[in-house]
Amino acid sequence: MSYEIPIGPYHPALEEPYKLELVLDGETVKDARMSVGFNFRGIEYLAERRNYLQGITLVERVCGICSNVHSLSFCQAVEKLTGTEPPERGLYIRVILCELERLHSHFLWSGIAAKLMGFKTVFMACFTLREKVMDALSAISGNRVNYGMNRVGGVNRDIADPAAVRAILDEMERATTETIIPIFLDDRTVQSRTKGVGVLSREQARAMGAVGPLARASGIAQDIRKAAPYAAYAKFNFEVPVETAGDVRARLIVHAKEMIESCKILRQALDTLPEGPFQTPPPTAAKFKVPVGTAISRVEAPRGEVIYQITGNGGEMPERVKVRTPTFMNMATVRETVLGAELADSPLIQASCDPCYSCTDR
Amino acid sequence: MTDTIDIPAKLNELGLGEGWTWDKGAWWLAAGEGFDIRATAERLRDLDARFAAITATEQSDGVIRIDYQWDLDGILLSFTISSPDKRAVSIVDIVPGADWAERETHEYFAVEFAGRVTLEPLMLRKGDAPGIQLKKKEVAQ
Repeated sequence: MSYEIPIGPYHPALEEPYKLELVLDGETVKDARMSVGFNFRGIEYLAERRNYLQGITLVERVCGICSNVHSLSFCQAVEKLTGTEPPERGLYIRVILCELERLHSHFLWSGIAAKLMGFKTVFMACFTLREKVMDALSAISGNRVNYGMNRVGGVNRDIADPAAVRAILDEMERATTETIIPIFLDDRTVQSRTKGVGVLSREQARAMGAVGPLARASGIAQDIRKAAPYAAYAKFNFEVPVETAGDVRARLIVHAKEMIESCKILRQALDTLPEGPFQTPPPTAAKFKVPVGTAISRVEAPRGEVIYQITGNGGEMPERVKVRTPTFMNMATVRETVLGAELADSPLIQASCDPCYSCTDR
Repeated sequence: MTDTIDIPAKLNELGLGEGWTWDKGAWWLAAGEGFDIRATAERLRDLDARFAAITATEQSDGVIRIDYQWDLDGILLSFTISSPDKRAVSIVDIVPGADWAERETHEYFAVEFAGRVTLEPLMLRKGDAPGIQLKKKEVAQ
């Protein structure tokens, strides 16, 4: 006889609210219904009633993890509308911020995944390393979250001492390579909890429009940093890790390998940071107005592609600000991945798509 | 697809229509009369394109402009249709990933998608009126 278990909106696996109603037959999940919207703040509505400079601050608060990605996407779209070209140093600093943000997000995800596997020592190790990334972000921007780094035409602050960031990077990369990656790739406990669990096939991932590490773990080899490069990404050598199994283990492997690739990008960017200005001069007009037109900006956030579509009407406030986040596409795949799974695996499966409800709900 | 390819010609060759123009981050096609969004969605699905987004915008004349965005091998394609009567055709049965996008567009701009079985609330609560981003309504209030 089937029965239902409602999970959420307060969730056993994650700190943000959403509701999942599981229909079970014994211990096996037979169906799932999902409810989101508990974090809905009307960000798009608000962004269309503020000027462009206020909009940067607003969209940075869409998400507490990938805040930099949102302000970057917004600024890139406004730069396209206004024909602004940030100086090269500013573009490099944007890449450095993006990769540090990816690292701290991936460490967060890895730690939560380890905790849900019952591997709390790895959880502690991941969060210790995440603190080092947060220290680097704090040293650069002055903030642990909501860095306030992006502006139309570059960044607000320079990286005065790249060698100091490099020292943090070296230490963090060594610990990641020697401790975290071998556990995720080879440990038998990790394998037993993740192999063949929560499978999302390539066909399912494509049909649902999945993006980011979730899609790459299902064999879809797309990363916006390579497919449609922005900032200074075209200048750096890095690989896009892809797995084909589509299970939780494949997602672990993709995340782990992406951390190494982020370190590779960071090292290149810090070592070759060009001299010169990091921002264009502020506009001379008293009010910052944006011409009529529509621009689209895409950025590869830690969880996948973010899209900002901004329409200007010649005034100080945008006519339309559309925010399409990666979890908005990825979250609906949870239903596909929990079907047929054991109830005990469902928290890990849900967490394995690296959901962000603040991003989803906006 | 690379920079050396004539993208508008290639898109036409792939059966995705004529008149593509590049502008500020995407390839755009203003869909004219007779444009079939469902046939286009089927074609894009068969080309292994990824459905990316639906972006609705209320224009100054009250007409809702709807942009359907797809990624084809890294190239962002945007099909624009106009919906004076706030109606559109659902593509959920062709692209399940469009489900949340259609539901959100309904809630923000009160667009009705024909052919859907359900339009359960996504961001709003049950009983909330759709159209929360409609500026004309705001002025009327």
